[in-house]
Amino acid sequence: MIELINFYIVPGLVLGSIYGLGAIGLTLTFGILRFANFSHGETMTLGAYFAWSLVSILGWHPLAVMPLAMVLTVVVILGIDRGFYKPFRSSPTIMLVIASFGMMLMIRSVIQFFWGVQVKTILPGIQLPIEIFGLIRISPKHMVIVGSAIVLMSAVYYLLKYTKIGKAMRAMSDSPELARLTGINTEHVIMATWIVGGSLAAAAGVLLALDSHVQTLMGFKLLLPIFAATILGGVGRPHGAVIGGLVIGLAEELSTYPWIGETPLLNPGYKAGVAFAIMVALLIWRPSGLLRGRTT
Amino acid sequence: MKILRKLALGAAAVALMASSAQAADIKVGSVGAVTGPIAELVAAIMSGRNLAASHVNAQGGLFKGDTYKLVLGDSACDPKAGVDAGNKVVNVDQVVAIVGASCSGGTAGMVQAVTIPAGVVTISDSATAPSITDLKDNDLVYRVAPSDAYQGAAMAALIRSRGISKVAMTYANDDYNSGIAAVFEREFKALGGTITANQVHEPDKPSYRSELSTLARGNAEALVVFAYYGSSGIAIIKNSLETGLFGEFFAADGMFDDSVIEQIGVANIAGKLSITQSASDPEDVSYKIFAKAFTAGGGNPNAPYVTHAYDASFLMALAIEKAGSADRSKIRAALRAVASAPGEIIRPGEWEKAKALIAAGKDINYEGASGNVDFDKNGDVGGLYTVNTVSADGTWKNTILR
Repeated sequence: MIELINFYIVPGLVLGSIYGLGAIGLTLTFGILRFANFSHGETMTLGAYFAWSLVSILGWHPLAVMPLAMVLTVVVILGIDRGFYKPFRSSPTIMLVIASFGMMLMIRSVIQFFWGVQVKTILPGIQLPIEIFGLIRISPKHMVIVGSAIVLMSAVYYLLKYTKIGKAMRAMSDSPELARLTGINTEHVIMATWIVGGSLAAAAGVLLALDSHVQTLMGFKLLLPIFAATILGGVGRPHGAVIGGLVIGLAEELSTYPWIGETPLLNPGYKAGVAFAIMVALLIWRPSGLLRGRTT
Repeated sequence: MKILRKLALGAAAVALMASSAQAADIKVGSVGAVTGPIAELVAAIMSGRNLAASHVNAQGGLFKGDTYKLVLGDSACDPKAGVDAGNKVVNVDQVVAIVGASCSGGTAGMVQAVTIPAGVVTISDSATAPSITDLKDNDLVYRVAPSDAYQGAAMAALIRSRGISKVAMTYANDDYNSGIAAVFEREFKALGGTITANQVHEPDKPSYRSELSTLARGNAEALVVFAYYGSSGIAIIKNSLETGLFGEFFAADGMFDDSVIEQIGVANIAGKLSITQSASDPEDVSYKIFAKAFTAGGGNPNAPYVTHAYDASFLMALAIEKAGSADRSKIRAALRAVASAPGEIIRPGEWEKAKALIAAGKDINYEGASGNVDFDKNGDVGGLYTVNTVSADGTWKNTILR
């Protein structure tokens, strides 16, 4: 039981928090800008690299530079929207999807050009876990990851629920025509979407770097589970994205627990397939996702 | 007097222009995992290959002063990227032959899909999977890095010699790691050892805590990790130490990089990790010549596979020179002729001597920095291994395994 909590549920929650943060941004661009943004993983990578540079220049803790890394990432993302996505505003969705695919490759190449392809570490060394109630052993960095994720998710909840721009974003997501008719400035909403999505993606990248390391493909490798989380939660539903992220994270870890006998239920070599299987199953049986999002 | 000098200068200039007009580039593909999980290792490997090319070009070049030019292709340590890189250099750059690729998976992809059908000879400097031996390659695929069939056995013997009889093992889901893992498993059991758990893992996951928890169930004395350091190796060792599940580790050469020490921290890993690596005999004459030249250029001759990289690149130049023309189909026979006896021994950097002997129609036998590079019928070579452990001051300490 303790083994199940410490080695399967806790890592699952940590992974799920990172997936959830990434999925919020993806679900918002999906819902408001109406396209599947393939460059979202690269946005996460960019955030992690900004954080790495800031840590090596300033010498602060990664968590302290995280807001700065988020701001820098948002500036880049807004620039990309201005110069690259804006001309595509009225184009068919498929063009935007392919354009974002191209943007993914471009961002990755730029990262490789400026930072090199070497694996970097943002928090060197190892951290020994702390015991809670003599039972649960959790490493301090994992508490930091889950804690930061909760804070950021609450902030997004507040933004969408109680602020004017948040309400406008939800209106745009539900019905763009009606939103425009009621006088909502769509360009402002699009900007807000990139700001929220970009900063959360950067945060997810920094938290992932905190748990493992900084590498040029780190965001791309997360893109599949994040897409699965987005679809699982219902496209355009930020709360659903959080739930979806946690479910995918936990499902990936728990699928390898030795539920029957002594060997893992699923060979860990196929762990990555779990998210994919969930995504395919949902697309067949419940394409609107858990929280009734837009059908994909 | 002045006019005469001008005239001489003019004549020299004309002669220079004439010769440069005749000299061409002989293009050879240099395919390697410039990006991806072993990028640091490949940077050093590339300088090894380039050093050989600069030796060739500084001492007269190929044929009548043609330049031996290495054309880069990025195989990213991945079979798909290997195919793309192979296609690029073979079909776009129209290279004569290829030095590379880097990883076993990338190499297998490239040779099967591109170079064997195109009839292009490849010499890999770091693909070590036993499966490369059995490829149906029309005698086109060579490697100067020894097969892991030897490394797996060396590692099993090393672990047993430390008095360890029960280990758990895990390997990444790719050609290189699953190949050496299979050899190790067989050899370790043959030496009377017990493998308490053996699990494959998916690379590039942020955490391996759940995998380690199942691996630790059989009370193993050590964990044997077959992985590339950048995609899962470091994460597995970090997670093991953080959770306290394992305290001693063995790994193969895919883990041999300074970033392992940097990322885990010297204090945490000193004395706990042993990595086997294909190496050169430091007393060997050829190795000493190479080491001197490579160190002069700012490189570390002990970095993994740099000696092999130099040899692959130098051998390819010798084979092209021996073939007499930049013709893909003639390289295969020429390569075997220059790599092994009979013939006068040629050592690293001795391009002028080799060129003169080939011009005179004499046989040569290249004895490389990595070993004698005598290819067997499968295009493989034998090997020597060292074990690298982490010292308390954060450097690698290496000992030859005999």
